[in-house]
Amino acid sequence: MKNNMKIEDFCRPGGQVAEIDPAELIPLPPPYDKMEKAPIRKLTEEQRKRMDASLDGVVAIGLAPPASPEEEKAFIEKFLAGLEKLFSAEDNWTFLQPLTHTLDYCVKCQICSDACPTYLASGRQDIYRPTMRPEILRRIISKYVKKEHPLLRKFKASDIDLDWQTLARLAELAYRCTLCRRCAQVCLLGCDNALVSREIRKVFSQQMGIAPKELHEKGSVQQLRVGSSTGMTPAALKNILEFVEEEIEEKTGRKIKIPVDKKGADMLLIHNAGEFMAWPENLEAFAIILDAAGVDWTLSTEIAGYDSVNYGVWYDDVQFARVAIRQSQAAKSLGVRKISLGECGHAHKAGIVVADRILTGDLNIPRESCLPLLEEIVLSGRIKLDPSRNNFPVTLHDPCNMVRLMGIVAPQRRILKKICPQFREMEPHGVENYCCGGGSGFAIIQSTNFPDWRSAVSGRMKLKQIIEAFQDVPEPEIKKYVCAPCSNCKGQFRDMFEYYGVWEKSGILYGGLVELIVNAMADLKKPFIQWEWH
Amino acid sequence: MGTLIIVLTYVAYVFIVVVYTVKVVAWLRMPLHIRWDLYPVIHEEHYRYGGSYYEQQEWWTKPCPKNTWRSLLYSLKDNLYMGEYYERNRLYWSFLLPWHIGFIFIITFHILCFFAAVAMIGGLDIGVVSAHVAGRIFYYVLLFTGGIAFITGTFGSLGMPIVRLADRGLRTYAMPMNYFNYLFFLLVYGSGLYAWLALDPTLDEYRTYWLGLITLTAPTLQPMTILHILLFDIFLIYLPFTRSTHYITRILAYFFIRWDDEPNLPGGKLERQIGGLLGRKVSWAGKHIPTGKSWAEAVTESGLPEVQKGKS
Repeated sequence: MKNNMKIEDFCRPGGQVAEIDPAELIPLPPPYDKMEKAPIRKLTEEQRKRMDASLDGVVAIGLAPPASPEEEKAFIEKFLAGLEKLFSAEDNWTFLQPLTHTLDYCVKCQICSDACPTYLASGRQDIYRPTMRPEILRRIISKYVKKEHPLLRKFKASDIDLDWQTLARLAELAYRCTLCRRCAQVCLLGCDNALVSREIRKVFSQQMGIAPKELHEKGSVQQLRVGSSTGMTPAALKNILEFVEEEIEEKTGRKIKIPVDKKGADMLLIHNAGEFMAWPENLEAFAIILDAAGVDWTLSTEIAGYDSVNYGVWYDDVQFARVAIRQSQAAKSLGVRKISLGECGHAHKAGIVVADRILTGDLNIPRESCLPLLEEIVLSGRIKLDPSRNNFPVTLHDPCNMVRLMGIVAPQRRILKKICPQFREMEPHGVENYCCGGGSGFAIIQSTNFPDWRSAVSGRMKLKQIIEAFQDVPEPEIKKYVCAPCSNCKGQFRDMFEYYGVWEKSGILYGGLVELIVNAMADLKKPFIQWEWH
Repeated sequence: MGTLIIVLTYVAYVFIVVVYTVKVVAWLRMPLHIRWDLYPVIHEEHYRYGGSYYEQQEWWTKPCPKNTWRSLLYSLKDNLYMGEYYERNRLYWSFLLPWHIGFIFIITFHILCFFAAVAMIGGLDIGVVSAHVAGRIFYYVLLFTGGIAFITGTFGSLGMPIVRLADRGLRTYAMPMNYFNYLFFLLVYGSGLYAWLALDPTLDEYRTYWLGLITLTAPTLQPMTILHILLFDIFLIYLPFTRSTHYITRILAYFFIRWDDEPNLPGGKLERQIGGLLGRKVSWAGKHIPTGKSWAEAVTESGLPEVQKGKS
């Protein structure tokens, strides 16, 4: 199916549009060039009956087939009604201009395809070209929204027959793009095919209530209800913070009281709550640094005020705005001067940049990245650092949201160059980086075989980069560190490294930036980084 | 025939200017959107590596200098160079660039012909042996721009269908309209090339044609030149129905989408605009969205996810 796919194949009834062939995936460097297990688990017959997997045999959403022709008709009509709203200045003022521009002016030159890590890693599967989703959408619009004359549709090759399965495939395909926007970066016409993925997700969510449950029910809905997408309540947060304080004392001998709900503090720090659950050492490191540097800061226990995630940025404008507003309300109620976002890429983009055109009045509280502050602390000498404590190979992963999507490139590099003698870049890096493969919510989507897909396909280019960055020290006995200042990227690395056995085969650990800073603190008795896989 | 081309030319120019203007105004009148900037942002101080003002601590207290001229030159340069294509698909670029150069130069050629005709009315003799240096410069500039337009346009129109058929990705996304365009444009440029090389090596007829347009006097021209001018007029009328407005909208997209990093500062103009947009009504039908409310209401009070439709 890889070669010579026609657009019409997307609507072919039954069967599977694309098959991921392990032999065609882009080769990885040794020892990962020979995977023993099949890269992506096959779905069971029962799963296939229950969920549509006719796109590529992988399921992120898993729509259930309609029970009757009437149900199918209603489904299609609802989608088309949503599609019309996408072009309404009332319903979609948020993205009308960039979306319209892309659909009207993309010339399908395919320059973007060669920039897409998923397309490249898949062995150039046509189905993953960044132009595929917009093309299907364009055809649906031509026939069912604009109702163009059949002859014009022939002239523009924009004919399509819409049925439930085509829409189910389109919904799945919208979740094969990590929204890294590398495709948009190379477009000479200013088009953004990644945005089209997001807008398709939006129609399904805002009109039809369809989204991966990890993003919606267990994500933004849960965050607005209990306070965090992890399900962590304010009471649980306080327990975890007690644990974190004990851990800090045990590791460093320092008694640090983490400030919580401190009225009038200078800065509200909001972490991705995933850190509390999976990587508490990141919180510990932040607390140690800010305490040592004498920063006047606090955490919040308000709804959404202790979880910087905002999954709406990937699929739903309304959910996005709700979370952004709750986060600002938390800051407002504490009376802080500014909000600082911890190490989380999408939270940076969502909270600092995207929310900038949602928050007004007293909710428009200044928001910034933690990285310039950390840079100032490290480079100013406010804390004493000994780089020799970090004398192991370190490379830096650039979270797309933080770097390509908001231009924070240099501070993290200046920190690493100061404290890591063996720092080396991946290629390409900076604003041309490759996505970790877990972007746009993929890192948290656990549906059936989707985690296999994101390790085998969407994260493949990144793994290749990491292995190549350490090619001079391949031995697993030499411990190496991938600095990833982003919780979602770390989640992807955790799963992908586990999938390939990277810790065992190459001795590569992943972690945040603040852990490296604390590890270099000269007055700590023992290393902060514990070289253990978790 | 001379009268026909005068009328058709006026119709074509008025049509393309009006439709392009309508399209560009419609583009610009779309509402302010959520920020969706992408780095490098060329007007930024650290654009070379893609850095932004967010690299500064408390960025809202610091000056954020913008170099708009750099952005403008960068975006215009790509109309003439198409660097990403050169880097990423050299074969495609080698035909696409001449195809576009042909378009830019043929428009430039006609604009210059207009000025040449005005100068001629003012008494300037344009030709290789003109007594005035301006007349000789005009002659060579017209010869250069016209010649480049016909040669590159013909070359590009011949090569584009070949490269589109040869490349799997381009072929998959090709539409009959693409091949029609290549053929039509080939006729436009090819007829001009033939008329120039075989019948009008000094391109004198275009000056006569433009003189006729300005003075509303039917010019006497070679049949092949007339054919080319008719095709070119139809070409101008057809262009607004293609994606050709991208010569302009791509620059708008750079400035108003990709490089739009204007922060919403408290009390500023942007904040007032956003306030207005948040007052617009929402009609999305998802269960978590209260249809009929304003954006501001939907995202704050009653729109909480647990409030199900029908129960609220």
